Formats: sequence, structure tokens, C-alpha cells
Amino acid sequence: MRAAIAALMARSKREIPHYYLTETVDLGDAMAWMRDRNRQLPVPKRLVPAALLLKAAAVALRAVPELNGFWIDDRFVAGEDVHLGVAIALRGGGLVAPAIHRAADLELPELMASLRDLVARTRAGRLRRTELSDGTVTVSNMGDQGAESIIGVIYPPQVALVGFGRIVDRPWAVHGLIGVRPVVTVTLSADHRATDGATGARYLQTLAHLLERPEEL
Amino acid sequence: MNIDQAADLIRTVLHQVAPDADLDGLAPDADLRETLELDSLDFLQVIELLSERAGVRIDEEDYQFLATLGGAATWLAGVAPAPAHG
Repeated sequence: MRAAIAALMARSKREIPHYYLTETVDLGDAMAWMRDRNRQLPVPKRLVPAALLLKAAAVALRAVPELNGFWIDDRFVAGEDVHLGVAIALRGGGLVAPAIHRAADLELPELMASLRDLVARTRAGRLRRTELSDGTVTVSNMGDQGAESIIGVIYPPQVALVGFGRIVDRPWAVHGLIGVRPVVTVTLSADHRATDGATGARYLQTLAHLLERPEEL
Repeated sequence: MNIDQAADLIRTVLHQVAPDADLDGLAPDADLRETLELDSLDFLQVIELLSERAGVRIDEEDYQFLATLGGAATWLAGVAPAPAHG
């Protein structure tokens, strides 16, 4: 496992000219919306913030398809759909990134169920081979035990990786006043051969707008 | 359900969700999620199993009472009905 990660990451850093863009997004409305929704639901149906973040990442990729796909033979090959690779840490160490297929089309409860299923099967060592290899992009979500931001390494031959840091409460300006809001730092790592910063910035703006209107996700 | 029964149930559930975790060395006041490296999905599963086995409804507002083993056992003992005899 270590050797496989080492080979892949070394190839990424050797071949891919990464560029990085960062945006901090106010999740106040998204978290309030999720809490309200969860209040009416039994435990197995409740959402976790990761489901919202993944859904927004997938839908934003549909709007900016230049980041969804592969760099093969000196050109960009678009992904046939948004198959969202999700970086999942294994308990014994190591990391895999199995894909949630057609993630942008899934309703939030479906995406949440897919995520739970994927994590459970990953930890139990019961992934299908295709799931491990057919992501068109990767998302790395630090979760609430992780660091505040992550500047990730692209999974070749993909051309982008979206990293979500831990959600933290921070002083934040809202309508000219300072309040305390839950915020998340989103970092896009992208392949400069395939896109330029303007495309990456458009992606982060789209993602931020989606997270500000969670009821539309 | 008394506090010891509640603590036993919590340990059983934690073992199921995080089979590799060292529960023997777990201090009653240690932060469960941090110490056992439970992510949000793991914690949701803990809540789900506790709710099901103890027969209590656990709302998101109650998660704060479940931060440590000691706190969770006290809280659960206070809200859970006595287990049926027999």
C-alpha cells in the first residue's frame, strides 16, 4: 500500500505542474439548514456536512467541466460524467479514493447513503476494482479531526483535486457586522497543463455559491 | 439502565464501530472522537447503534452529552428505560 501511494504521488509531482487556489466559505446557512433537516429525521437518515460538501463539489464540476477528466497523451480528455473519487483513510494507515458514480445527479440522501456505504466497504476491504480506478476527479475532506486546510496532490491522470479543511468557527463579516460563523477552507489543486487559474477561480466561486444555498443542492 | 450498564453498552458499540481501538486504556473523561479517531460517519454509526440498542431517541442537540465515555454513560443512564428482565 505504501509503495503504491509513493509511486503514484511521486509521478504526480514529477509530471503535473500543479497550481493552487483557496477560498474560505461561510457555512452558516448550510449548517443551520442541515440541522433543521436532521431534526425531523431518524439517525440513519441524517446528513453529515461531508455530504453537502461532496454534492456541491460535484455539481460545481458540472458547471466547470474543464476540471473533470484526465490528461492523457498531451491533451485533456473530459470525464463522461462526474465520478467523484473520495479520499478515505484506512485505519491501519494508507489511503484509497474510490468513486461515487454520477455524484452530481444524486439527491443528497442518496449521496449520503453512497458515502456511508463506500466508507464501510473501504474499511472492510470490500471495494470493487472499478470503483478504485474510475474517479474523474478526487475530493479530500479532512473532517472534524483534520487540519484547517489541505493543499492536495492530484491523482494522475486526473487534472484536479478539491480539498476541504475542517469546519471551524471564526469571526466573520456578515452584512457589515462581525459574527461567529462556521467556515470551511476549500483548496483546488489543478493541472496547469489542462487549465489556467481563471477556470479554477470560476470553479471555486460556483462551489461557494452552491454552499450558500444548500436548499438547492 | 444504570451507569455501569450504559458504560458497557457504549463500550460494545465503540468496539463494533472501531474494532482496532484500545478501549481498555480509555479514560472516562477522554474525548471519544479525538481519542478513537472517529470521523463524522463513525460517530453517526455510534449514535445509530446506541439509539437502537438503548431504545432512546438521540437528537443532534444531545450529541454534546456523548463527548466522553463518562458523560455518555451518565446521560444514557438518565434517559434509557431499564432493560426488560428474562
